[in-house]
Amino acid sequence: MRTSAFLTDASVCIGCKACEVACKEWNHIPDDGFEWTGQSYDNTHALGASTWRHVLFLEEKKPMGPQLAGIEEPFRWQFLSDVCKHCENAGCLEACPTGAIVRTELKSVFVQQDVCNGCGYCVVSCPFGVVDKNHEVGTAFKCTFCYDRQRDGLMPACAKACPTRSIRFGEWEELRQEAQVRVKELQDRGYNDAQIYDPTGSSVGGTHAIFLILGQPEAYNLPPAPEVPTIHMKSAWGAALFSALVVVLVVFLAFAL
Amino acid sequence: MAANPKITEDRLDALREEAARTGKVQDHGIAPVGSPFPKPAAAVSYHGNPVLKPPTWTWQVPLYFFVGGVAGISAVIALAAHLFGNAGVLRAGLWIGLLGALVSAPLLIADLGRPSRFLNMLRVFKLQSAMSVGAWTLSGYSSAVGLAVVCHELILAGYGNNFLLVLEWAAEISAAVSGLILASYTSVLLGVTAIPVWSENRRLVPVVFLAGGLGSAAGVLELLGFLLPVTQFIGIVASAVETLVAIVIELRGRYVDRPLREGTVGWLTRAGAALAGPTSLLLRVFWGHSSMARYVAAVCFVTGALISRYAWIAAGRVSSRDPQALFRIQRPAHNSAAH
Amino acid sequence: MAENHPVGFQWVIEARERGAKVIHVDPRFSRTSAMADIWAPLRAGSDILFLGALIHYVLENKKDFREYVTHYTNASIILPEEFKDTEDLSGVFSGWDAKNRRYDSSAWLYGACVEGGRVAPKSAGPHSGHCKDGAGAGADLADCECDPTLSHPRCVYQVLKKHYSRYTPELVERFCGVPRERFLKIAETFCSASGPEKTGAICYALGWTQQSKGPQIIRAAAILQLLLGNVGRPGGGILALRGHASIQGSTDIPTLYDILPGYLPMPNLGLDSHNLADYVAIHRDPTGWWWNFDKYIVSLLKAYYGEGAKKENDWGFNWLPRVTGDHSHQGYFLEMLDGKVEGLFVMGQNPAVAAPNSRVERKALSKLKWLVVRDMVELETASFWYDSPEVERDELRPEGIATEVFLLPAAGHAEKDGCFTNTQRLLQWHQKAVDPPGDARSETWFMYHLGRRLKEKAKQDPRPRNAGLSALTWDYSVGGTMQEPKVEEVLQEINGYKVADRTLVSGFNELKADGSTACGCWIYTGVFPRPGENRANQRNSQDLWGHGWGFAWPADRRILYNRASARPDGRPWSERKKLVWWDEQNREWTGLDVPDFTRTKAPDYKPPKHAQGDEALAGDKPFILHPDGTGWIFAPKGLADGPLPTHYEGLEAPVSNPLYPDQQSNPAAMREERPDNRYASSPDDRFPYVMSTYRLTEHHTSGAMSRMLPHLAELQPEFFCEISPELASERGIENGGWVTVMTPRGIVEARALVTRRMRPLPINGKMLHQVGVPYHWGSRGLVKGDSANDLVAISEEPNVRIMEAKGILCDVSPGRRARGKAALDQLNAHLGRK
Repeated sequence: MRTSAFLTDASVCIGCKACEVACKEWNHIPDDGFEWTGQSYDNTHALGASTWRHVLFLEEKKPMGPQLAGIEEPFRWQFLSDVCKHCENAGCLEACPTGAIVRTELKSVFVQQDVCNGCGYCVVSCPFGVVDKNHEVGTAFKCTFCYDRQRDGLMPACAKACPTRSIRFGEWEELRQEAQVRVKELQDRGYNDAQIYDPTGSSVGGTHAIFLILGQPEAYNLPPAPEVPTIHMKSAWGAALFSALVVVLVVFLAFAL
Repeated sequence: MAANPKITEDRLDALREEAARTGKVQDHGIAPVGSPFPKPAAAVSYHGNPVLKPPTWTWQVPLYFFVGGVAGISAVIALAAHLFGNAGVLRAGLWIGLLGALVSAPLLIADLGRPSRFLNMLRVFKLQSAMSVGAWTLSGYSSAVGLAVVCHELILAGYGNNFLLVLEWAAEISAAVSGLILASYTSVLLGVTAIPVWSENRRLVPVVFLAGGLGSAAGVLELLGFLLPVTQFIGIVASAVETLVAIVIELRGRYVDRPLREGTVGWLTRAGAALAGPTSLLLRVFWGHSSMARYVAAVCFVTGALISRYAWIAAGRVSSRDPQALFRIQRPAHNSAAH
Repeated sequence: MAENHPVGFQWVIEARERGAKVIHVDPRFSRTSAMADIWAPLRAGSDILFLGALIHYVLENKKDFREYVTHYTNASIILPEEFKDTEDLSGVFSGWDAKNRRYDSSAWLYGACVEGGRVAPKSAGPHSGHCKDGAGAGADLADCECDPTLSHPRCVYQVLKKHYSRYTPELVERFCGVPRERFLKIAETFCSASGPEKTGAICYALGWTQQSKGPQIIRAAAILQLLLGNVGRPGGGILALRGHASIQGSTDIPTLYDILPGYLPMPNLGLDSHNLADYVAIHRDPTGWWWNFDKYIVSLLKAYYGEGAKKENDWGFNWLPRVTGDHSHQGYFLEMLDGKVEGLFVMGQNPAVAAPNSRVERKALSKLKWLVVRDMVELETASFWYDSPEVERDELRPEGIATEVFLLPAAGHAEKDGCFTNTQRLLQWHQKAVDPPGDARSETWFMYHLGRRLKEKAKQDPRPRNAGLSALTWDYSVGGTMQEPKVEEVLQEINGYKVADRTLVSGFNELKADGSTACGCWIYTGVFPRPGENRANQRNSQDLWGHGWGFAWPADRRILYNRASARPDGRPWSERKKLVWWDEQNREWTGLDVPDFTRTKAPDYKPPKHAQGDEALAGDKPFILHPDGTGWIFAPKGLADGPLPTHYEGLEAPVSNPLYPDQQSNPAAMREERPDNRYASSPDDRFPYVMSTYRLTEHHTSGAMSRMLPHLAELQPEFFCEISPELASERGIENGGWVTVMTPRGIVEARALVTRRMRPLPINGKMLHQVGVPYHWGSRGLVKGDSANDLVAISEEPNVRIMEAKGILCDVSPGRRARGKAALDQLNAHLGRK
């Protein structure tokens, strides 16, 4: 069974937002309201229940590789299309008490809309802040990795719409290799801060949405060292057990003394 | 750092602004003792927007935390009362436990986005999901304490027999064990999330919630008239712990704890801590002989514990909105996701 | 290009990834700039200064592609002594008639028409800019003296050098705002893309066209490309990025008043319209491909009038309308404003938002007796009578507007068959996927049935004025429940056919002037060569050039003038850049593209004396539509405002013209100044900043479609103005706040987007602020806002009558504008300041 993945490459993203629109059109997602943010050209703000692709706009006083842009000081404007990471170890999936969130045969993370009862626990368990509850419908929503399209042999709507192939879709392992090649190529061309964002070393264990970014992850609101919250289980339950034992002791002491 | 006379907030702001604008500061800065240096280089984020999503839980959830805590610990107290022969406390404890259970489920169901699907909580059992553990625990606890009450009342009413006695003991023990889990799992629920102020306090919140449940259970008993040495002892210990925790949070001064110390939520946290902590403690220690004082102490503790549940949820909301809270925990990143 | 042609821009990215260098010059830093290798900020309106300096650089440093220039351009032609340049006449060329504010462009001719005294061609008049050679008369440019060494002081090359001698990098720094090193870096980079092994391309859009000297700016780029030898070669040329999916098509099969299909001129009353013979004599060039002009006009007339078109009645030539004045958009809207127009059809357009001086446009609509609007939504042009700003300001009252507005629903592009012609001259058929809902109908349906009904009425009314209408061929099949005409039949008619048996023709070489062929548009011939073979509908790309996918006019030639991709002797310039070449064995041109040249004409062909048409062009003259076959560095005809581009400031400017103090702006441009279309002075203390309107990726033109769709509306929900941090700090404007923008024409409010992407430029020693104003908003839709075109004046560039929307003067102040009538008071108060 193939394992599919996204490789999203900021160096060729032109910020056109075709991915955002294609995703919404295919999945019949409603609009998020018409609020202007004043944050460069980003009025989408963040991923959420009604936004599954979000294009970021970064205006920075840094050079973009060898580009001659700024005049008296360096300047660059770069774009990136953010999406659900479909983590190998997914916080939302671990947290879901109804079993609504499952790992599909494509290895993507999928919220079954007929099972979810809207408890909201996945929302606070995602280290990337992706999944959210739709308050009108009552259940949690996020990128489905175009499960329906992939099962029919099609690529996700966003990858299909992307005109510059900034969103690449394919076999996970192949895209991982491609990312390695690409980041080296970019660094050779002078993009000194080109890097791959793929938290393989953390408890998340790698994601099915790999990103090629320029500069530190924080600039994209990507956590530099994301962890799946279940790593805290031991210490949290440990403290709870300890406290519970103390409670028992106190209660018994209270009666005994 | 000798002769710089202008040690004012304005100067600090000006330095921060200059650093943010140009990336460096021309003049040497100032370092008033105890104040943070301007550190603009660290504060990178995407337009200052939140990384995480805020909790979607409504008012029913903190209330449930409180009620569940009271109910769960009541079962423990009831069991101890049974062991030590205090029939009044036993009966009261069981009934408090049952009523708490009966109120808990509707509270949780009301918070769901799709309440009609509440039974889906019992589709699976996942140890790694505190909410799954909690759903099953509440179910188990409700059954146990319900059974215990039925048995107890039946026995009281004269239908007692050995079988019922054993059943009651079994139910009480089950209720006590599951009650402890009920009272404590909610702290794990918060601790095992991505929200910085919760996950970074995952060892502390169980202490807070259990102390709160303990003291509140005792407080409720007192308000029902059980002004006993038992409840006084429990009350003193609980409020002492609450006081200690509050001091730790204030003194620790961690960035991630800012929601607990600053702004509206900071005041909410302090209000809760003050009522459940020093106020209750002092009243009990110095005026413990007065029933009035004890009633007031009980009310203070219960109120404080309830407020503090709301404060912790609200703190989570505030914490989720601050990208730096998340980044600072992860930097320096020994397992950097970027390579 | 990334903003407005994102799908096409993927190929720029692809080229960049393969090592091409992308240079972007623009007043603001857009999404295109973000992807470029080099960006330079530019003062809007100073483009000719910039391009002229590049030309100067090429000439000074001898970077021109000498062999190409000598053989393929008119650089070697020696101009008559009488011709005087702007350097000689303080900013005008010879032939300037100051009284009538027009040029007599015969002053720029060279060649046989100059022998024995000047021949004044019977010009077709001032209203004819879009057609072939600006409908200049056919000129005999043969028999010219040349200097192949390009050193004769009167040769075009030297005149060019003198013309641009003062366009230096220093001047660019001082008046364009481009730092000298950045300019030189650009010059060096771009000019290295020249020669046998390398080419470079220039892409432009409305930043160049929407100026009072737009065509001249493009001409400057053309001169640069000719000097560098980049025209007609792969990876070279000039790509005009047009504004809609099929706007190229709407000039090919025109919806413009001054041209007929295939860029044939519309007759101008009294000038070329007496009879067909005169018309042909005037427009037909004795040499070059336009010698075939008569075949095209006659075939067009046969297509229009069928059997009614006979030799005896000049093939129905007299049934064609005559241009009698300025019927351009600006022209007739001003007449409309003055109450002289009764009715108007508006189909797929939104002048209430998208046309310049939109306040005047909306008021003009209120003077109509009837207005038919066909669109998919009720856009501002249809709703002006009740929800325009004029109604809000009490300038118009609904009860006082007598215009009867008919709003008819239109089908969307997936609901009808049809064809788009894009920026690349590529015809692509699109197929109907679903029926339009309810009463919505396609344009074809509407025009066909309207015409059918009018023809029925004409049958009852035999006055001579209806003869043409009655004669129109209107016999398309209709089908389906909606009686939809078969659009493929229209395409076949456009392709052309033999009248006798209706066989389709496969190329314009088959067209005749004897009435035996009919053709709706000669440049499209070949798109439907056989029944069932709709080449616009083919989707089987065979090669790098896309042959097999769609049809590029003319004759599926993907690169125009591709003879220039081979050396004068017929071999490719290089293996790397080969496109077409001469096959000595088979004695024909062959290659990777369809040769844009007579297939059997040898590279060493020398025309006999007095040869005509294409036979008069030598085998090394690629520009076959010019009577001398050369690329025109110096344009002897075709333009109303000069044979060489000259830097003029805009109609409003922040500085005086540094080169020609006596000639501030384009002398031939028309300001149409009137009380409701005022101008600022140059400079003007009340309007110290320079603004340009432009587009965003997220919206489409006037926003009529995109503001109604939630998924697009939410991407850019509010009208904003892009401002530099310096200007923001100077005027106390905060990012996210509101600003009011004013020009002498109007007052709008917008959100303030303070960004480093806008920057003040040091112009002549002073900091000049530029602001950016996207124009997508109006009073209707899910998201609403003021219309930027309220700020723009109605002006007319002399060739094509386009308005100047870039580089105009404005003021920007913090805060929202006053509401209702008070907004006009606010504007007037500001105008009254000194």
